Amino acid sequence: MRSMGVFARTRSSTIALYVVAGLAALIWLIPFLGVFMASIRPLSEVLRGWWRFEQFNPTLRNYAGAWNHPAAPLGQGMYNSLRVAVPATILPLIVASTAAYGFARFRFRFRDLLFMAIVALMTLPQQMIAVPIYRIMRGLGAVDSYVGLVLVHAAWGLPWIMYFMRNYFTTVPVEVEEAAKVDGASDLRVFLQIVVPMSLPAVASAAVLQFMWVWSDFFLALILVYSPDKLLATQRVPLLRGVYHVDWGVLSAGSVIVMMIPIAVFAIMQRYYIRGMVGWTSK
Amino acid sequence: MRRKVVFLLLTVLAVFSLTGLAAEKKLTVISGWSGPEMDAFMPVLKEFEKETGIRVDYQIYRAEDLAVLLPAQFDSKTAPADVIFMWAWFINKQAQNGHVLEVTGALNESDFVPGVLDAVKSGGKLWGAPYTGKIKPGFWYRKSFFKQHGLAVPNTWEEFVDLCARIKKLPGVRAPIASGNGVGWPLSDVTEHFIATFGGPEMTRDLIAGKVKWTDPAVRAIFENRLAPLLKAGYFSEPIEWTMAADLWWAGDYALFFMGSWITGMVKDPADLGVFALPGARGLVFGTDYAFVPAYTKYPAEARKLLAHLATRGQTLQVAAGGHIATYTGAPLDVYPPVDREVAALLRGREALPDLDDTIGGEWQPAFWDQLKLLWVSPDRVGEVLDTLQRKAGK
Amino acid sequence: MRTLRGRALFFVPALALLAVFVVYPVVNTVWLSFFTSEGQFALLGNYGEVLSQPEMFDPRGFARGFPYGALVHNVMWIVIHLPLTAGLGLVLAVILREIRGGAIVKSIIFLGMVTPMVVGGVILRFLFDGNVGILPSLMSIVGIPRRTLTAYPDTALFSLILGSLWLWTPFSMILYSAGLETIPDYVYEAAVIDGASPMRAFFAITVPMLRPVTGVVITMTFLWVLKIFDIVYVATMGGPGGASNVLALQMYMYAFREFDANSAAVVATLLMLVALAVSIPTFRSVRGEQP
Repeated sequence: MRSMGVFARTRSSTIALYVVAGLAALIWLIPFLGVFMASIRPLSEVLRGWWRFEQFNPTLRNYAGAWNHPAAPLGQGMYNSLRVAVPATILPLIVASTAAYGFARFRFRFRDLLFMAIVALMTLPQQMIAVPIYRIMRGLGAVDSYVGLVLVHAAWGLPWIMYFMRNYFTTVPVEVEEAAKVDGASDLRVFLQIVVPMSLPAVASAAVLQFMWVWSDFFLALILVYSPDKLLATQRVPLLRGVYHVDWGVLSAGSVIVMMIPIAVFAIMQRYYIRGMVGWTSK
Repeated sequence: MRRKVVFLLLTVLAVFSLTGLAAEKKLTVISGWSGPEMDAFMPVLKEFEKETGIRVDYQIYRAEDLAVLLPAQFDSKTAPADVIFMWAWFINKQAQNGHVLEVTGALNESDFVPGVLDAVKSGGKLWGAPYTGKIKPGFWYRKSFFKQHGLAVPNTWEEFVDLCARIKKLPGVRAPIASGNGVGWPLSDVTEHFIATFGGPEMTRDLIAGKVKWTDPAVRAIFENRLAPLLKAGYFSEPIEWTMAADLWWAGDYALFFMGSWITGMVKDPADLGVFALPGARGLVFGTDYAFVPAYTKYPAEARKLLAHLATRGQTLQVAAGGHIATYTGAPLDVYPPVDREVAALLRGREALPDLDDTIGGEWQPAFWDQLKLLWVSPDRVGEVLDTLQRKAGK
Repeated sequence: MRTLRGRALFFVPALALLAVFVVYPVVNTVWLSFFTSEGQFALLGNYGEVLSQPEMFDPRGFARGFPYGALVHNVMWIVIHLPLTAGLGLVLAVILREIRGGAIVKSIIFLGMVTPMVVGGVILRFLFDGNVGILPSLMSIVGIPRRTLTAYPDTALFSLILGSLWLWTPFSMILYSAGLETIPDYVYEAAVIDGASPMRAFFAITVPMLRPVTGVVITMTFLWVLKIFDIVYVATMGGPGGASNVLALQMYMYAFREFDANSAAVVATLLMLVALAVSIPTFRSVRGEQP
């Protein structure tokens, strides 16, 4: 990262820069710190302000409480979320990449129009499908089932993954594919054996983004899943506020647990995540 | 010989699997109690397990969340549990739609406090069972706190206002009255207490029935002349999560805390508790918990049995733990802990009123809570709040 | 074989899923929005009915303060959030380029983006709480009495907007970071050689060159703000007294609290129309880049 030299490199301006950067880091850390403190310290300490350390008795009791909470055990919630997020990432990736390849390589009438229409779907809010989806699922008997939720998430992810992958495919040089076709390979073969292996970074980015998106979803899960056993991790967090007994400690611990997965994924796949975001929103 | 052995083995296996299946029977109970309240409830379930050998599982679900969940589940002809605790209005509504198992005959009306079964009766049939109730008697205080600061229980309205003013001046006290807030109750409980005191039990009943409007001048007068001035003077704290409020109140940040009688089961030293109603209160809200069996339960006979157990023997066990008042007349007085006997005594000479928002229910209930949250921090908006309440009630 | 049928198969699964789970529901929702709850066809009458509800638009707000209605709240949210997130993102992207350890700070800031919105709501509720939150305590240092900011009508929405800035600014920052990378140095150096001060060169040259990035940031931010639901649901549930209500939450209330699918459809369709309108520039650019 080369410096652009925007700021005159005097001593004071350099210090100012570091101060601002430090402030920014602090601003983003403090809310997390607060929740983290509430999760490992007893409520009585937190009530006086978690930034006070006169008394400091850390305990992991809240984590155990959240993991095994009678109303909303997070252990089960995390497992459920995985059961939804993994298929809901794999399925649309396969379906959308295939279609995206078609949009990138095949020529046919209305191709561009169709693609534009699909891109338009990307902009819609989930609220647009909420009630009809609920009714469809009810009709199919798929309410409160993961199959329904996975299908909806998969369908919802298709537009943006198609947009993303198609853009990526257009940057892949055509020559290799054409050579294979001259040799008599079918479209499908070319796609699976040549193009896909070349596109793994893009697939990785799309996978990371879709996974994070599905994991964090709350609205669709709220509408389609309600058996206490089947609730996803994100749904259980608000429930940790028990009826009569709001325990900030358990609530905070639950929040930290739910956050762990996206943070872990981000830590490992950071490059793909960022490339994914930059890639699919700009040209 | 071989064939006989195989036959014997198969029979043994069959018997095993059948008994296995029989032992598999499991009932699930859902209510909103968690924490110490849940701990007090578990012995009731354990007793049923011991008596009948049927396993009972317990799951926590807030009534507010159930109100959204259950209609959808019932629509798909499923239910998350075999016995569910919910508001009476909800039970009746679901019964009308055919989602509730009829339990007429499972309970003897004479075994219960008169009138308590009415809330879950409709069309001549019984749809639910009453459990224990809790009185919402008034403002709780720590006797030690009052003694320490030389405060006395007020006997008139003026004395009450005076008491608040005196407490406010005490150093270290953030506000005289801690405003507990769940999703909006107990703010609603405080408000109902004021209505019952200054409007009388008739006003409470009329508001529930819709015979009196929220915008009626008599109702408005209570809000404007009694409640709002206290809010404006800062005698109430801002809404705080009520379990946190209880902790802070116990620690001395606040002097008074309006809460239901279940608080006796929640504090470290119930003997230090004192309570007084607003001077002149002629009615107190006695909130009964009700439970029902969804029509879609897999074990209707067993669920009915459990329901009956809860309503009778269950109540006796529950009140012994403190914080509950039985609606089952079969529960002897000496089972109660001393503090609760005092609380039960408060009801003497006063009418037992149904909980207003639990009875009206529907979408009005969360709107009521939300409006009160607004009123508590903006007491000058009485007119608008009442208008909104009336508008929502009219829907 | 490069048959037509073989090629069509590439599209069939995607189009089938989309048709059933996206296109049909969308059309159905729009259709629902034209009918009243009694089943009468009302076309725009239904829209008028819904928009006149105080939950959606409350002109009394202009006299006495919050709530103003979900519609106005969303507008406020956008007007405040958009410029701030774009500006902050840019500033952060620039500054963190210039210093050592900038990458680490960027990763920390990115935590905001990685957090599920539900958890974000919990964090906000905690942050602004009068008893346990740090923000009210900080404010009390400068003399503002401590109170739970999300419990008061005049501060509830703004607290949430602040929180949403915390959650979304990383996005803007990342995009600007990437954008800055793509600007060739010589453009910049040339300007400096010509005598322009570094700051001036930045504003006169770099910023305009970032315009495509700014376009994307604005569009995506707008779309995101329109859909905000989770944090409001968890932190305030639209309260107190509807002072932090937003369109997405109101739609949910209509659909799943009041069981009024038609009014919900109206709100959803309105959201869709705004989303489409905002995305028009994006469509145009997509059209321009067809292979």
